[in-house]
Amino acid sequence: MPDAPLLELDGLDAGYAGTPVVRDLHVTVSPGEVVALLGPNGAGKTTTMTTVAGLLDPIGGTVRFGGEDVGGVPAHLLARRGIALVPEGRALFFGLTVREHLTLAKGKGRALARDELLELLPELQKCLDRKAGVLSGGEQQMLAVGRALVSRPRLLLVDEMSLGLAPVIVERLLPILRRVATDLGAGVLFVEQHVALALEVADRAYVLNHGRLVLDGPASDLRDRPDLLRSSYLGDGAAPAAA
Amino acid sequence: MSSYILFLLLGLGSGAVYAMLALGLVLKHRAAGVVDFGHGAVAMFIAYVYLGLRADGTLQFPWIVIPHELTLRSSGLATIPAMVVALVYAAILGVVMYWTIYRPLRHATPLTRVCASVGTMLALQAIAVLNYGTTAKSTPTILPSSPLKIGDITIPSDRLWLAGIVILLAAALGAVYRYTRFGLATRASAENERGAALVGLSATRIALGNWVLATLLAGLAGILIAPISTVDPTSYTLFIVPALGCALIARFTSFGVAAAAGLALGMLQSEITKLLSVWSWLPEQGLPQAIPFLFIVVAMTMLSRGVGARGGTVELQNPSLGRPSRPYATTLLCFVAGIVILMALHGSLRTAFIASLVWIVLSLSLTVLTGYVGQVSLAQMSFAGLSGFVLSHLTAGAGLPFILALPLASLAAVPLGLLIGLPALRLRGVNLAVVTLAAAFALDALVFNSTWFGGGLAGRAIPTPKLFGWDLGIAKGDTYPRVIFGVVVLLFTCGAGLLVARLRTAPAGRMMIAVRSNERAAAAAGIDVARTKLLAFGLSAFIAGLGGTLFAYQQQNISPPSFAVFTSLSLLAVTYVAGVGRIAGAVVAGIMLSSTGLFVTAADKWFGVGEYQALVAGVALTLTAIKQPDGIAASPPPPLVALGKKLSGVWAGRRNGDTAPPAATPVGGVVER
Repeated sequence: MPDAPLLELDGLDAGYAGTPVVRDLHVTVSPGEVVALLGPNGAGKTTTMTTVAGLLDPIGGTVRFGGEDVGGVPAHLLARRGIALVPEGRALFFGLTVREHLTLAKGKGRALARDELLELLPELQKCLDRKAGVLSGGEQQMLAVGRALVSRPRLLLVDEMSLGLAPVIVERLLPILRRVATDLGAGVLFVEQHVALALEVADRAYVLNHGRLVLDGPASDLRDRPDLLRSSYLGDGAAPAAA
Repeated sequence: MSSYILFLLLGLGSGAVYAMLALGLVLKHRAAGVVDFGHGAVAMFIAYVYLGLRADGTLQFPWIVIPHELTLRSSGLATIPAMVVALVYAAILGVVMYWTIYRPLRHATPLTRVCASVGTMLALQAIAVLNYGTTAKSTPTILPSSPLKIGDITIPSDRLWLAGIVILLAAALGAVYRYTRFGLATRASAENERGAALVGLSATRIALGNWVLATLLAGLAGILIAPISTVDPTSYTLFIVPALGCALIARFTSFGVAAAAGLALGMLQSEITKLLSVWSWLPEQGLPQAIPFLFIVVAMTMLSRGVGARGGTVELQNPSLGRPSRPYATTLLCFVAGIVILMALHGSLRTAFIASLVWIVLSLSLTVLTGYVGQVSLAQMSFAGLSGFVLSHLTAGAGLPFILALPLASLAAVPLGLLIGLPALRLRGVNLAVVTLAAAFALDALVFNSTWFGGGLAGRAIPTPKLFGWDLGIAKGDTYPRVIFGVVVLLFTCGAGLLVARLRTAPAGRMMIAVRSNERAAAAAGIDVARTKLLAFGLSAFIAGLGGTLFAYQQQNISPPSFAVFTSLSLLAVTYVAGVGRIAGAVVAGIMLSSTGLFVTAADKWFGVGEYQALVAGVALTLTAIKQPDGIAASPPPPLVALGKKLSGVWAGRRNGDTAPPAATPVGGVVER
């Protein structure tokens, strides 16, 4: 890793109402790097993402963004500093048009030009003046990604891009993350249930289970060791059987 | 012909006020999702502040007892400085009210916010009455009011000025919302606070900005209308009703429609006053007040769509429901306890307890409607009133005996319930509340205030109830109130409680709860949503009607003011705060919170705080809405819980030998979990 880490989670404890769901998590993401966060249901992936975005306050440990401790900084200030989250459930404004979403999210300063964005997400072109509420599920997801990208984020967080979408659309959407990292130089951290697809796109991956980090490494290594992945998902008991 | 036009133009004055208040309501709703019933009271208060500055240079503060006047100058301020100071005052008041009341409530249900706003309305009105009295005050003109000749009619030019200001304001607001980033951000953050935070917007700050803007508009409306219509605490607060109607026609979104509706409403009312003098066959009473509201009810019902389609988000968080276990035993226990209390109390306290029992019945009507089916009605006192007046006509008029007249009169409210329930098939939530409010207002003005039906100011007498020659009345000779009357009321109250408790676990009750949770899912599960809602409205009207007849027998003489819309408003507020999903909530509402009930009467008798009842009730309402949105009855105080456990343990032990007591908590009414 040539660059200093953009995001650094150092012993992070995160959860709800003082009860940690995720414990002692160590994750780094560098600029231009695509990192996958994997794990079965209930592992704590979404909790991690919402905590990094500032929607939840961390319970313990530190969240460093660009070298600064940002634990407890409210989400709207982090968004202005360059953290963009595509949340689970998308959190779109159903009454606003696609164009209005992009205008609003653009913020001040270093925004992405509309042409650049439409080049990444050409499907949005034809529905610029339609309200988000009437878009299809796939279009809504593109809009959620587009809304996050238009502010030219330094760190893009994507939570379950594939939720409720056809595999064809997922195959179309995931490579965009790679382009975001190369073209815009942003760090990308994404959660994905479709492990094989995720490992094709990612540089590195972390696997969470029961709120703890159980495995991490370069994506290429993990691709070659399905047995390790399987045991990390299913618990230690499955490891001997798989090996 | 010209006189028709004259009346139309004269109506622009009140129309401008409705419009300006409606604009503020639209702003508040768009930005903070609050339907603010206290908006008119804010306008009233700022008008008083302006009056104080203008008359003798004093600044009035919204509190009592401790010094609430600050002398800025020995003589009155000029118009412009007084207006500026009053509007700055309004801005600060807006900040304080948003920060202390509505910001903590931003994740609460819409109904909880409505209750908080009703609380602020009652509190501001009470403060105004305590500090300024109820006599109307007037002030010199602000806008140029020289007579203006158009053709052959002459009107004061201030009406045109007012209309012009409203149109300008509406256009400016519309442009801001459509074209500026602030407007876009407001629309976004109102819809999805999480999404707004993710694109770098602070929903709280945006809502605060809008709130201040809306408060400024309310203040401006209050100040500008002061020279035309004198300022007094009640009539100003009541401006909220037509303003809500206009905001509703604008669907709480369009500034242009809100302003146009306000101006049109004012002109329509004024024109009807003129027509009354021409068409003598029109009923004299209440028509100018009633017609516009009938129009609102019909228009809203016709214009609304059925089930929400794709793209419409319906967020419905419901207050928690109780689940009565052992309803018969609890009813019996309550009946015995009630008789003991009736015997133990005397004089005004016994009267207050009977009033509490009546109020419990009225609250139970909301337990069915708002608790079980999630429909908000501000017309409950209209049901009660209709039954009360019908009772008078049946007994005093047709001479029917008590045993026939009481059920018949209670049933008389059912058709009205079904009628008011019709809009509920298409409208939901707070919109429905405003439509029922308009219906209640129209009914009050047109029907109750007719001398034939409601008896006018003198009211209508209710003869003493008699069963086979046995006098059951509340008074006999010098004895007042009599225990036997209390027992009759208690019997009906317990019966109503048992009915509502049984409904909760009966198939019809399950259907109601399914409809409340999700109409589409309920329909998909084979439940006839329309029938279920109408059933609930019918039943609720019947229970409210029963409450109305008991109230009539208790009062011995009833007149229209008892059933005015603001009584319905405070019934809903008090019941909601006590816990609308529980029978115990109705009991708490009746005994602890109602203004004529046991607790308030006792507090007044022993501590002499009657003067402050309205203020305390308002503040308490707002505080409970913030601190305890599920209602007081949802979490009874610990000593009561312990007592309840002990009692139910004894009960269970007696019946089933030594089985462990279940963790049930009786709170006055029916045992609940």
